Amino acid sequence: MNADLANNDPHERARMLIALSGPEGVSNEQHSWLAAHLESCPECREFSENAREAIHALRAIPITAGARLVSATQMRVRQRALELQRQQERVWVVSVCCAAVTLCAVFTTAVFWFGFGWLGEQMRCSPPLWQASFALFSIMPAVLTAILLLARGTHLADRNGASQG
Amino acid sequence: MNATACYFVNAMAMKDENIEIARGLQRRDPDLLDHLIEMYQHRLLRYLVSLTGRRELAEDFFQETWIRVLERGRQYDGRHEFRAWLFTIARNLVLDHLRRKHPASLDSLIDSDDAAPLQIPDTGQPSAFDATVQREQNELISTGMHHVPVEYRETLVLRFQEGMSLEEIAGVTGAPLGTVKSRIYRGLSALEPWLKGARL
Repeated sequence: MNADLANNDPHERARMLIALSGPEGVSNEQHSWLAAHLESCPECREFSENAREAIHALRAIPITAGARLVSATQMRVRQRALELQRQQERVWVVSVCCAAVTLCAVFTTAVFWFGFGWLGEQMRCSPPLWQASFALFSIMPAVLTAILLLARGTHLADRNGASQG
Repeated sequence: MNATACYFVNAMAMKDENIEIARGLQRRDPDLLDHLIEMYQHRLLRYLVSLTGRRELAEDFFQETWIRVLERGRQYDGRHEFRAWLFTIARNLVLDHLRRKHPASLDSLIDSDDAAPLQIPDTGQPSAFDATVQREQNELISTGMHHVPVEYRETLVLRFQEGMSLEEIAGVTGAPLGTVKSRIYRGLSALEPWLKGARL
């Protein structure tokens, strides 16, 4: 702070001190110096008077929020809070489902792996064959789902195009 | 109780209050938000009017600020004063809006000379001589504020209307302490001609 106020021009320094006058802005020493300077400098005294009035006028400017703005804001905030809460609940449900699916997948993959191995031995198939069958079996649900979604997407796009046309 | 003890008691009470606010925001407590909106309604709107220079725009930002407080409330840790955090959010919202429309600077909020002055509602006070003089002076200062560059205007509002410390202003505006001091000085100097006009 002192570095900022260490101005060689006493008038500039005085004006800076006037502008910063406040609980933490100016030290006692600076305040004494300013008082002495104002005694002898009418221009800075006028600036001080103007600044005092400007601050007083600034504090008196009546800008207030209307009751309608406040209640509208409160309503919007409550609605958004509800949306966020629902969103959070959905995220929680999806997370739990994902965890359950992962757990099931880990368990069933091991079971099916041994099952395919046993079946391969019983049918006297070579290991690459039952392993390839296992891989096909594993990816089949995903492939079927992708095909269904693609078909549904194409169908919806066709329907939208027809309704717009 | 001496002044120092009073200061520490107040500081502790404020810290507790900020921690309570932080906990409420973590929970997204709507009752707490209702209370905060009522508590900071005038101060926030005044700050936004000082930033935008337009009441309608400031009212839009007022609502958006509280929505953002709700959404990002978990980022508030209660270690700093809530008011400073709230004003920083409001300021960033205005800046984001400007970045989408104009270059990223508050300068673009400075209105042209022929634009309407800051809109001050009629206070409805009785028309006594003192009140009239005061109102005229307020109007002149309001008009003067409109012509003061927005960085100075913002700093003057934070300092003299909100009573913020220099450090708090530096925190809200993201400007160094020296710049804050300089803006206060220059802002008051820029208002001086308008005060002289009020006296003529």
